[in-house]
Order: sequence, then C-alpha cells, then structure tokens
Amino acid sequence: MPLAFRFAVPVTIFFSIFGAVPEGKSQTYEGKELVKAELVADTNAIIPGKKFTAGLLLRMAPGWHTYWKFSGDAGIPTELKWKLPPGWKAGELQWPIPLKTNDPGDIQTYGYQDEVLLMQEIIPPAKIDNSPVKLSAEANWLVCEKICIPGSATLQLEIPTSTTSKVANTDLFARYRQLLPKDWPGADVAKEKWSHVGSELHLSVTSATLANHPVADFYPLPEGNIVVGHPKIESRTGNEIIFAVPIDSASKDLLSIKGLVVFAQRPNGNDRAAWRVAERAAAPPAKSVPARGVLTFLFFGFLGGLILNLMPCVLPVISLKIFGFIQQAGQSREKIWRSGLAFAAGIFAWFVGLALLLIILKAAGREVTWGGFQFTNPYFVLLLSVIVLVFALNLLGVFEISLPQTATRGLLSWTAGEGEAGSFFQGVFATVLATPCTAPFLGTALGFAFTQSPVIILSMFVAIAAGMSAPYLLLCAQPAWLRFLPKPGPWMTHVKQFMGFLLLATLLFLLYVLGAQRGSDALIWASCFLLVVSIACWMKGAFIVPGASIATRRLSLVLMLVLVIGSGIYFIGDKFRSSKLATTSQLAGGWQAFTPERLQEELADGHAVFVDFTAAWCLTCKFNEASVLESATVREEFQRRGIVKLKADWTNGDPIITKLLQQFGRPGVPLYVLYPGKSAEPIVFPELLTKSIILDKLETISRTIASQ
Amino acid sequence: MKTKSIAAILASLTTTTLLALDSPPVGSAAPDFSLTDAKGKTHSLSQYKGKYVVLEWFNPECPFVKKHYGSGNMQKLQEEYTGKGVVWLTIDSNAPGSEGNMTPEQAAKVAAAWKTHQTALLLDPEGKAGRAYGAKNTPNMVVVSPEGKIAYEGAIDSKATPNPADIPSSTNYVKVALDESLAGKPVTTANTKPYGCSVKYQ
Repeated sequence: MPLAFRFAVPVTIFFSIFGAVPEGKSQTYEGKELVKAELVADTNAIIPGKKFTAGLLLRMAPGWHTYWKFSGDAGIPTELKWKLPPGWKAGELQWPIPLKTNDPGDIQTYGYQDEVLLMQEIIPPAKIDNSPVKLSAEANWLVCEKICIPGSATLQLEIPTSTTSKVANTDLFARYRQLLPKDWPGADVAKEKWSHVGSELHLSVTSATLANHPVADFYPLPEGNIVVGHPKIESRTGNEIIFAVPIDSASKDLLSIKGLVVFAQRPNGNDRAAWRVAERAAAPPAKSVPARGVLTFLFFGFLGGLILNLMPCVLPVISLKIFGFIQQAGQSREKIWRSGLAFAAGIFAWFVGLALLLIILKAAGREVTWGGFQFTNPYFVLLLSVIVLVFALNLLGVFEISLPQTATRGLLSWTAGEGEAGSFFQGVFATVLATPCTAPFLGTALGFAFTQSPVIILSMFVAIAAGMSAPYLLLCAQPAWLRFLPKPGPWMTHVKQFMGFLLLATLLFLLYVLGAQRGSDALIWASCFLLVVSIACWMKGAFIVPGASIATRRLSLVLMLVLVIGSGIYFIGDKFRSSKLATTSQLAGGWQAFTPERLQEELADGHAVFVDFTAAWCLTCKFNEASVLESATVREEFQRRGIVKLKADWTNGDPIITKLLQQFGRPGVPLYVLYPGKSAEPIVFPELLTKSIILDKLETISRTIASQ
Repeated sequence: MKTKSIAAILASLTTTTLLALDSPPVGSAAPDFSLTDAKGKTHSLSQYKGKYVVLEWFNPECPFVKKHYGSGNMQKLQEEYTGKGVVWLTIDSNAPGSEGNMTPEQAAKVAAAWKTHQTALLLDPEGKAGRAYGAKNTPNMVVVSPEGKIAYEGAIDSKATPNPADIPSSTNYVKVALDESLAGKPVTTANTKPYGCSVKYQ
C-alpha cells in the first residue's frame, strides 16, 4: 500500500519532487525515468551577430505528457527561462501545434507526448570574447500520466564561436518547424470573421484548404482573466466552417480571442498544420485627444464661459451686476475697477475651486462625470430649485433681503452688501448658479477636459472663468464704455421683475429633471415644499419689514422656520425620499428600455440595434431627439430597416450605463451607437446629430450587409 | 461595484448557451449532492442551506494539492473559515483504481496525517458531485452562498504553479470571495480558470 506509506511522510515528498532532476538532466520518479531534458541548437557554432535557434528538447516516458502554452482543463505549460550573458537576446518561445486529449469527465487538455522541442531564436551580440559559449536556461514542466509530477532543471548548452558554422540537429528542427503554426494566410486562401452569439464567440473560416481536411479544430489561447469552454464546430457548410468558443468569464466586450485554427487528415495527425488567429481590439478605441488640439478646446471653453452670461439661470444675477455698473457710472474710476475685479475674482475662485475638487476626486480614483457629478443627484437638483425659486421671488419683489443700512440701496442689497466683498460674493453666486447650467451646455468640452491631465482640467476651467468674466473686466478696463449702457431709471425694476420670470423658467427645467429622476409623485412633493418656501418668503416680505414691531418680526420668523423645516421633513424627508420612478417606464415612439441583456438578445436574433444614451437634463440629447431621431424621416427609415431602438436613460447615473459610456471613451451623454449586427463593429455617431449623418450611415450598413 | 453588477448580469446571460457538461455558471443554483465521509456519515449540500459552503476538489497524490497542504495553506484557510461558520467540504471524485482515489480508511489517515480542518472529507468515487459541478481539477474551488447559489468557482489562487514558494505572493481567490461574501459585498472575481491535476473520472 504505497499510498498509505506516502501519507506517513507527507512533508518530505512535497519537496522531494522538486529538483528531482539530477545532473543527468532526467526526471525520475520512483526509480523510473519520466522526462529527459536537454538544450539543443540548430548550429554547430555561433557566428557573432548571427541569430540561430536553440530549443528545449523534452523526451517523455511512454504514456506521459507535458503541456502546451494553453494547457486546457488541467496541467500547466512548460516554462523555459534563458539566462543569457549581457548583449544576448532571445525571441519568443515557439510552441509546436499540440495534441488534443479528451479524458473522462469532459477534461480536454493540450500537450505533447513522447517528445517535444520548444524552440527560441537566440541573437548573439556582434562581438563575443570567449569560446566556447556556455548558455544556460532554467526549465520547469509538469509531466502527467495518471498522476502529475512537476519537474525542473537548469540546463546548459555549450557551443564554440566561429566565423563559419554548419547546421546541426537538422532532422529534429525540421520536424518541429514543420509543426509550428503559420501566420494567417491571405484572404484568397482563408477568410475569417468573428461574431458574438450569446455567450459564445463564433469564428467563421471560409477556406477550401481547411474544408479539404477532415479534421478542423480551434485551439484557444485565452489571455488574462478570460475563461473559455470547449470550442466546437458549430457548422460546416461548403468551404465555411464555423467554430463556437464558449466564453465562461464575464468579459462580454470580447470580440475575439487568440488561438489556432488546426487542420489535419486525422485527429492529432503528424500532418497537422495551423494558422494563427490574431486577436482583434476588445472595444472601440477610446477617443484620444482630437486633432483640433487643446488650444481649440480652451478657446471653446472661453467662448462657452462668455455665453454662460446669457443663460437664463445666470442672466438675472449678471443683470444685477450690470445695474451696479450703471449706478456706479458716475463714480470714481478706481472704485469701478476694484468692484469689477472683485466680481471676476469671485468667478475665478469658484471655477478654480471646482477644478481642484474634481482633480482630487479623479486622483482618488472616483469616477467623475460632469452631468453625473451634479444632475444625477436629485437632492442637488432640489436644492438648486429652492435657491432659484427664492431668488426669483426676490426679483419679483415678494421680499427684499435687506440689511437695515443698505435697505435703500435696493438692487444691490441681496448679497452681503456693497464694496469689494459684496462684488466678490456676487461673482461667486453668479457662478454657483451658472455651474449647473454648464452641464447641458458645456458638457462636451468639459467631458473632453475630464479625460485629460490635471493641468488641462485646470486650464479648461480657467478658460471658462475668463470667458464668463471677460465683459466685466473689459468694462473695468475701459469704464468710458459704460456710457454705452443705458441710464438708470424705473425701467430697471421692470427688467429685474422680468428676470424673475426667467428664473422661474429655469425652475421649470429643474422640476422636469426631478420628475424624470423620481417620477411625478416626487415632483408633486417637491413642488409642495417649494410652495411652502414661497409662503415663507412672502411672510418675510410682508411682516419682517422695517417698522414692524419686534413681536411681529419674531413670531413671523419662528413661523417661517417652523413652516420650512416642518414641510422639509414631511415632504422631502418622507414623501419625496420614498417615491421612486415606476420601473416599467413607458417609452414612446417605438423606443424600448436598454439593458445589456436586451442588446445581446436583439443582436443574437440578428437585428441591428441603435442605442440612444440620454438623460432628462441633457439639452443636447433632447435637441437631437426632437430634431433628428424623432423626425418622421429618420423614424420611418429605422422602421423600414427593422432596426431596434433602445434608449439608455442616464438621468439617475445608472452605473451600468456609466460603464458602457466609459467603454466608448465618453464621460457622459449624449452618445449614439449603432450595432449593425452580429459581426460588425459598433458605429459611434457624433454628439450633434443631423438627419443626413444617420441616413447616410444606415445606407452604407445595408450595403455591407448585402454584400456579405 | 459597477463592474460587478455588469458581471452578474452577463454571468446570468451565459446560462443559456452553456454545454451540459460545463460547470454551472456563477450565480446559478449549486447542484445538490449527497456523499459519505470517511466515517460513513452522509452529508448533502442542502443540509447546509443558510450557510456559506466551500467545495474543494481533492487528490492526495496531486502536486498542486500538495502545494497547498504541504505548506499548511489549505489547512489554515479551512481553520479560519470553519471558525467563522463556513462549511468546508473536501471532495475526492477520483475513480477507484486511479491515483488519488481513497478508501474511507485512507481518507481518515490523510485527514489525520495532514491535520486538515475541513467540515468533512467526502468520497465521490462515482464522480457524481464532480461531474455535476464540472470539476476538472484538483484543487478546484467553489463557494456556495447561503441561498444555494454559486458565488465563486475556479482556482484557489492566482499563481498556477506547483511551487509552494509562490503561495505568499499570490492572491487567494477563495479567501477574497469569502471575505467579500461574509461582509455582504458582491464577489469581485467570481470566475477564474482552475489549475491543477485533472480529476480522474471513471
């Protein structure tokens, strides 16, 4: 009972197996020689600078085998590590086409029986001092019959150097060179095509050469964390053979895997030959820095900042600043200069602070997206709604935020007061309000910046800040231009009130986003809260005014706080928080909700699929949808071609969609992708769609499909 | 987190097209089995429902198994996690007459000599449990969740060698999967290629 005996001395045998190869370079086990290992070369002498081939020759005892580069379901590949003197180089290990073995239990392995030569090109330096040269290599292998025994040996190869050489070991090298896989032949000999079918990769090979061999197989060479099942022949029709390779690991973006297409007259025949199948890029390459370059983007950032002044959420604040300038028109040049600078400083401070925050988040490995950074959080949107509403009510004259000493100064009094500090905070406040406006508007430029280095992120934000503050800095530099501005007068009150309505329009947009995030119930609860906030503001305007008694003021203040806090707890803390968007959202216009499974199913069914990555708060998306995707022409064209339309809604920052966006190198929406079918690569459309872009692309696809 | 949810979804996708003989995919129901240990006591997977269960395919003759037992690595894992309420079932699915197959007496001796700490060392000479899980290697590791779903399957660690010296520098996937599971988190690496000797089926 040798088994029991061995258990008695467990620890010693664990290690006695290692290094079991004595000086004679043979691995013995229980007195039997299992593997004989030696290094051989295809030359009898080394000519300096001239490459030659050396190899590890393993001779296995009958019935025992070692393994291929990919060992299959069991075993491990043989290793060969050359220890070459400085200046010497070794090429890649060349693996002959292995034998494929099936054992009970559906165990499939790839390896070599009896003998194998693993070759490697060796490039000596142009000058070699000593002769003969001693080259050494360490070899590790696993040899198995019923049981497996690891073996290892440090081997030496001694060859003289010379100016001439003769070939050596000719037959041996010829035999194994014959068994090396070849590069993929030209398209005239064999055409290959990969496709994704469910969890399998299908490799279609159309080749008369291959079809003429009764045995055809695919030997996979998976890399990294890819786990493959057993490849099999899916179909064999005419000259086309389709191999199916089950992918067991979760790498679904895989478009192909490396491997060999092997063919022979009989299984494991000595006539076996193989073509190498190269891997294709896993996912569409992420967008690199566009050719237009960083400066162009910075220019657009500046332009964007400039235009921000006109956004409905910013314009009211800005207009106040302009009014400030108008009122200051008669004042000293220096005062205007300082006030304008402080305002610009406020703008810069906010943007630079934001840039630094983002850089830190990015450095900490957090996934940062611009729209997602703000708009995917409903509480952020709610907070913004409250600020916008309060400010709108202020502009409409419902209440004044008045400090006693500045009460008469009306217009400018809504922040901390006047002077530089006041201007600085006006700048900050204008920018705080502007920030969310940038998501739909500057999304693309900022999205670009986010993928870049911290320096570029910072530069981008500085460019936007410069753009936004440019008008004021200009007015400061040239106060004379102030005379082009109209004279102060009662019209300013009307403009101010009108700006209040602009803010209410902004509020509508925010509520729309909230509704898309949390559903109509949440929208109602948020609106209830906003109504109470309005009442509180009205109380402030009606009762907390100069001239009212202290008692009235205090009572009003307490009532206001009770109302706001109470309704906050009730409407927001309870009702709003618990309301969820109904999961089965109805999509109109033939759109269906996107899920990765859904996409795979449709592709597996042979449908072409168009995916619209969108979000409720993304104005570009809405614009594209209204003007292009929902237009009658495009809609009909989609329908006519039977293209399945999936909508991936990123309003709430769905992590699955985030991941997919990143795979396409996009930091946010919009993204439009057309999957033409099983085999073809997905087509990515630009962010700004036109009807002709879509229609042209559809035309080319149907041509390629038809020509296949 | 994001990758994981995708992985889970995609893993569930793979169920449809797998071959009958392949391993049941991660996330699917762990096949039940009923096997006897060295003392003749019957253990079934279903009796341990509600607990995390580790399945370890075993062959005392296999150098890869010896790598983890000779170094004490496997015993340490068994001790640590059975101490945390995890059930550890070691299974020998090698057929009678082939190397690594054990009689109940041999199994008892191995367990004693190697100072193992598993809940039970089970004998599966017909390879029923092994085939149900598509276990092709020793060691081949499976982690079953309290709900009876496969939470991890594959290799014991990241370095596919028979050399015990590689253990300290490798990532133990089973340990990571158990730690993540016990902490209520999804398993990051739920599927790897097992390495080792083949299971010798009938």
